[in-house]
Amino acid sequence: MMKKISILILLMVLGSCQKNEEPIIISPNLLHQSIDKVTDIMIHDIFSPPVASRIFAYPNIAAYEIIAANNGQYKSLAGQVTDLTPIPSPKSTTSVNPQLAALIAHMDMSRRLIFSEDKLNVFRDSLYTIWSLQNPTEFEASKEYGLSVAEHISAWMDKDNYKQTRTMPKFTVMSNEDSRWQPTPPSYMDGIEPHWSKIRPFVIDSSEQFKPVPPPVFSMDVDSPFYKELKEVYDISKEITAKGDSSDEIAMAKFWDCNPYVSVTYGHLMFATKKITPGAHWIGIAKIACKKTSSDFNKSIFVYTKTSMAIADAFISCWDEKYRSNLIRPETLINQYIDENWKPVLQTPPFPEYTSGHSVVSGAASTALTNIFGDDFSFEDDTETPYGLPVRKFSSFDKAADEAAISRMYGGIHYRAAVEVGVKQGRDLGKFVMEQLNMKQESQLATMQ
Amino acid sequence: MIKNIVLAFFIVLLIGCGKKEGGLFMNPTPEKTGITFSNNLTETNDLNILDYLYFYNGGGVAIGDINGDDLPDIYLSGNQVKNKLYLNKGNLAFEDITDKAGVAGLSTWNTGAVMGDINGDGLLDIYVCAVVGINGFIGHNELFINNGDETFTESAAKYGLDFETFSSNAAFLDYDLDGDLDLYLLNHAVHTQKTFGKSDLRFERDDQTGDRLLRNDGQSFVDVSEEAGIYGGINGYGLGVAISDFNQDGFPDIYVGNDFHEDDYYYLNNGDGTFKESLKDYFGQTTRFSMGNDVTDINHDGWPDILSLDMLPEDETVLKSSEGDDDIQIQKLRIEQYGYHYQFTRNMLHINQQGGKFVETALLSGIAATDWSWSSLFADYNQDGEQDIFISNGIPKRPNDLDFINFASNDQIKMKIDNTKLVDQQALDMMPSGNIPNYVFEGSKNLRFIDRSKDWILRDTLISGATAMGDLDNDGDMDIVTNNINHTATLYINKTDKKANYLRVKLKSPGKNPFAIGAKIVSYHKGILQYKEMYTVRGFQSSSEPVIHFGYGKVTKVDSLRIIWPDRTTQLLKDLAVNQTLIIEPENKTPISYPLFTQRKNVIFKKVEGNLGIDFVHREDSYFDFNRQKLIPYQFSDRGPAMAIGDINNDGSQDIFFGGSKLVPSKIYTQYSEGFREKTIREIKKDSVKEDVEAVIVDFNGDGKNDLFIGSGGADFFDQMPPLSDSYYVQKDTTFISGQLPATFQNASVLASADFDSDGDIDLFVGNQMITNDFGKIPQSYLLENKNGAFEIVENQSLLNIGMVTDAIWDDYNGDGSLDLIIVGEWMSPVFFKNKDGKLELDDMDTALHKGLWQSIIPFDIDNDGDTDYLLGNWGLNSKFRASQKAPMKMYYADFDANGSTETIVTLEKNGENYPIEGLKGLSEQLVSLRKKFTAYKDFAGKPIEGILSKEELDKAKLFEVSELRSGYLENNDGNFKFAPFSVDLQVAPIMTFLKYDFDGDGKEEVLAAGNYFGVKPYHGRLGSFAGAMIKGKNDVILGADIGLDFSQKSIRHLNIINFNNHPYLIATFNNEKVQVYQLIKKIDK
Repeated sequence: MMKKISILILLMVLGSCQKNEEPIIISPNLLHQSIDKVTDIMIHDIFSPPVASRIFAYPNIAAYEIIAANNGQYKSLAGQVTDLTPIPSPKSTTSVNPQLAALIAHMDMSRRLIFSEDKLNVFRDSLYTIWSLQNPTEFEASKEYGLSVAEHISAWMDKDNYKQTRTMPKFTVMSNEDSRWQPTPPSYMDGIEPHWSKIRPFVIDSSEQFKPVPPPVFSMDVDSPFYKELKEVYDISKEITAKGDSSDEIAMAKFWDCNPYVSVTYGHLMFATKKITPGAHWIGIAKIACKKTSSDFNKSIFVYTKTSMAIADAFISCWDEKYRSNLIRPETLINQYIDENWKPVLQTPPFPEYTSGHSVVSGAASTALTNIFGDDFSFEDDTETPYGLPVRKFSSFDKAADEAAISRMYGGIHYRAAVEVGVKQGRDLGKFVMEQLNMKQESQLATMQ
Repeated sequence: MIKNIVLAFFIVLLIGCGKKEGGLFMNPTPEKTGITFSNNLTETNDLNILDYLYFYNGGGVAIGDINGDDLPDIYLSGNQVKNKLYLNKGNLAFEDITDKAGVAGLSTWNTGAVMGDINGDGLLDIYVCAVVGINGFIGHNELFINNGDETFTESAAKYGLDFETFSSNAAFLDYDLDGDLDLYLLNHAVHTQKTFGKSDLRFERDDQTGDRLLRNDGQSFVDVSEEAGIYGGINGYGLGVAISDFNQDGFPDIYVGNDFHEDDYYYLNNGDGTFKESLKDYFGQTTRFSMGNDVTDINHDGWPDILSLDMLPEDETVLKSSEGDDDIQIQKLRIEQYGYHYQFTRNMLHINQQGGKFVETALLSGIAATDWSWSSLFADYNQDGEQDIFISNGIPKRPNDLDFINFASNDQIKMKIDNTKLVDQQALDMMPSGNIPNYVFEGSKNLRFIDRSKDWILRDTLISGATAMGDLDNDGDMDIVTNNINHTATLYINKTDKKANYLRVKLKSPGKNPFAIGAKIVSYHKGILQYKEMYTVRGFQSSSEPVIHFGYGKVTKVDSLRIIWPDRTTQLLKDLAVNQTLIIEPENKTPISYPLFTQRKNVIFKKVEGNLGIDFVHREDSYFDFNRQKLIPYQFSDRGPAMAIGDINNDGSQDIFFGGSKLVPSKIYTQYSEGFREKTIREIKKDSVKEDVEAVIVDFNGDGKNDLFIGSGGADFFDQMPPLSDSYYVQKDTTFISGQLPATFQNASVLASADFDSDGDIDLFVGNQMITNDFGKIPQSYLLENKNGAFEIVENQSLLNIGMVTDAIWDDYNGDGSLDLIIVGEWMSPVFFKNKDGKLELDDMDTALHKGLWQSIIPFDIDNDGDTDYLLGNWGLNSKFRASQKAPMKMYYADFDANGSTETIVTLEKNGENYPIEGLKGLSEQLVSLRKKFTAYKDFAGKPIEGILSKEELDKAKLFEVSELRSGYLENNDGNFKFAPFSVDLQVAPIMTFLKYDFDGDGKEEVLAAGNYFGVKPYHGRLGSFAGAMIKGKNDVILGADIGLDFSQKSIRHLNIINFNNHPYLIATFNNEKVQVYQLIKKIDK
């Protein structure tokens, strides 16, 4: 009986809303919020940097494809991005709000990719409740459309070899090669994602397309280029730690740490301090740029999509090289040959050294953002403030990328070659991705030019 | 009606159980005893588990009679509370005389508390350890010298024992046999093990953390650590120390248990004031997070055995939500790069092999998992003549909880560390508490212990640490006191009383060691030996009453008691009545000569120096099966090398073929009168890419020259990769050429040759074990018929997919004159094929119930009744696997996540449910979807397999079972075979191979059994405790140590007899080890 009455009341409420349905307005902030939410969950669930880059890319593409299909300004990625086919059309276009559908598709794709769905569902359901009260017709139509697009994108995503790479062999540590990467203190984790190069890229032809020059030949001869680079890491580290935590180099290193899982061990007590990944940091910079330029929802999703694809492809390219050269980290060698008690400023991440992932990704992401917002774009980067780090100011995306790259040397986790070659690898890749992608309609391009 | 009465009775019983009493021990209340000491800990912002890693280790407890009234008194030390001394007033009433006695102590943080007569005046003094120099802890170790009037004088400085170090405990011993008590000071490291650091850190002495040996020079103690060879490194997390004469040479030795990655130390006393740390030579593996330990002889051979505690939880929920063992690659790194020994997270029971290597049996003994354990004390609590064990445990907060490790958020911890260096209350609250009941185990005659925790004692929820024993109520049996965190100390009063007989012995010695620390007593009754040593510092941070206690059950007379005084003299007491306390002083002493116990040796095998020139060393390639198939229960890549004996160079003498592992060439040794020499046969050597697992040398084509057949495996090559095909080399002229062989691509495990079709040539059964990358799919095994030196597969469907074969023999089991085929394997029962006119037919024998992880089979008339029985090597009982007919071990095989690759999930039964062995981390490395299904470890932990995988997923899986893990034999009863298990001595590791021969030259054949296997993940430890054994008959088994064999810590693959210069020699071929050659001494004598 009570139930019936409740339903009745609900119907009445719904009915009353029916009469004065207002169009649902999706602000770009809601998109930013949604991405922030997913970023938070990724931190909780602990995704490694390459996996995190994939989690950013697919939801953005799903949302972007809806915008492109319903807005003359943007061009679909179908045919431009490997194996992507045009998304389905909505059953009826009349009541569909494309931005609403895009955000719903974005959230649904994110839900599929993260582990802790409950945390995202709370966020989603509160939005769903608001929208369904605001305009049930538009909401239902957009939701149906958004979810059907998510289904389409998801089917495409499922063929990217991610599932198969989960069960591929782990990295085999022991070998007779002195140059081969070994797990590093304190938790000696397995090398992560040794098969990431087998993930289907978005824009680049293959993971090998931007194969960098090999690293300096491994040698413990003090006159060899390799040893000199090793010694340089050690010397810089000594120099900047002597200056103390307030030194600019250490500030840079810490600011760009972007390590999703820094493990801490005190006897039996263990825990991790968690931060965002390098990809997430650049997605954060993309958000800052969108906000600074007051970009609308459509422009924002365009920015995120372009940037996240460049980042994702950068990880595939970088990881291809990492497990090709399988180079040992400075920490292992310095402890073995130079200083048993030396610790890098940053905790060494669990994968081979060459090339520097942050350098490659920063090179690619900054190239994408420069392509969109121009070179002369200064910004205040507050992405890391939730993790107790200060705001840093940059005069351009490129400058930020340069700093991110060199910070890895200050952090004591990379040699110079990995940083310098890495940032070039990222920029070359970024340039290629920008050249390949045609995301604005011709008319728009014309007016822009 | 009857039912109702029974029910009513039952209810009464249950209500009755509400009282404060266990079946063997009762716990008097503090109100009754007056013992109100409670080690209350207060976590503050400045001091908690993050600031001090051993914040929860608790205080100490010492039991001893300090005032000479024959009633043992109790001293309890506190971390943040003052120490207390309770005087025993009789009838379990105690009086707090701390203030009067002046023993409250001045240090900020006290740890171990022990009693001993430091100055040799016949009065027990008290030594209290302290942690000083970190976290603002001040003070020093305190020595309270007994004034004899229930007062004490703190004199640590006077004696040179006022250390300001990170002490855990101290142990008394007279290491130099000069008649006074020296001291081993156990200190613990505090440096947060951010890196392993090389193991040689232990050579660099650190004053705060390094252990010390202190020689008593009369007036004061002198630090002799360095000259005595005692390690003092920064990585010695010393939590346990035990003194005993482990090698029975009359000089006390020392076992030190170290927490974390530092190895335990096994110091053997050289007898000249120095020690030789010898852990790796005597122990195959040790506890990883070593806590307290205890020593006693549990198997009545007079050699002290060791129990070292760790922290493996028994409870499924705790087990699966706690951080587990290292990854296998990390383990290898730790051992090979950093120089540490094998250590695993579980209790270890090391059984002393007459001074040789210890055999570790905790899993078989049923005492491996007692959770976060601190103290173990051996004693015969029920006085039945067997040693029982009490284990205290618990931790207020479990910092190794996986949800805490992974999901404690930054806000709660990170900022705190950077800013103020502490964990806040919120973070501490996230750690689950570990208030777990203490354990008590009843000992038995066969190394097994029965868990009596639920009936001998009341189930507590306390954090019990230091534990000491004494006869508090003077009724002859052993009572226990535990020092608890945040709770009053517990007294466990033993109620055995006079229900079983006992003898208590107090020793009184003139000179500076009045309590005769280091004395030994051997008791004999009805031919049974019991052995005890007088060492009071036992368990963890505590010392027990200086009394030796024996139980005798219903036996009323002790035949003899031999007292061996520390000064190497002895006296014998005969025909003693039980149930009394003897006070023995030296009398009629005679010198004793060591060794005390003559070793039961009747050497049959003697190792040949130089191996007759056979210098083959098998090196396994560094390939980890678990890197590829992450969930398989054990490896397959390590089942080689192949080994075969036969005349290869046609000179009439036996030569040897050894297979190589992947990419390593095989080797051939040919025989000369002066020994064996390697011979290169290029045609064979060139196929080094293959991993050779089995080989036979036989003249297959009947041309008078031997040919060579090699079974390939290695579990690395897959599909139809050529290196997976077997090899067949035919000898032609002076060289070998490839013979004709059907193309098959399987991982071979056995080649069994016989002329099954009686056509005059030798045929071959090729048994295969598994399919690379698809373990669980049944491989194909083949019967190859020899047709003029070429092989053809005999069509036989029932043989083709018989299972995961490991071994096979041709033997006429049904006595019809033709050779039948018997096959054994893993996840299957022994299978019999009867040979009917050259056709093999599956025989429906009654062995189907005995699904095992069978490794080997050999025909042998073990019961000496004239027919042939079959000995079967299985996995044994000393592993994490458990299986029975009622509760089989199960393995689900399917492509659960539909990604094109299959998985196997193995489950074990516990309390009626089946749980996967792997935790969430392990399973989700292969089945990522589980991470989405279980976003926290606590959601996963404690769930049986049905709660982890859906019914559909389980239904689509193929189910394998193992119902028998014991090695044993199929007893032939008029053609019917019944399985009978071997004794427990033969269940300590997998038995991998058998060899039948008359080894001892008595004219009758015996079977030599050998085993061990290491291809398991670190969670399982090392299955290496089997030294080998000679089986002469059903109840006549001689262990390796008694006949000159020690195959322990080596994984054997083949045993062979080879004739060299007309003498038989035993060749033992191991995986990843050098071959060993033994002379058969008894045969040479003949």
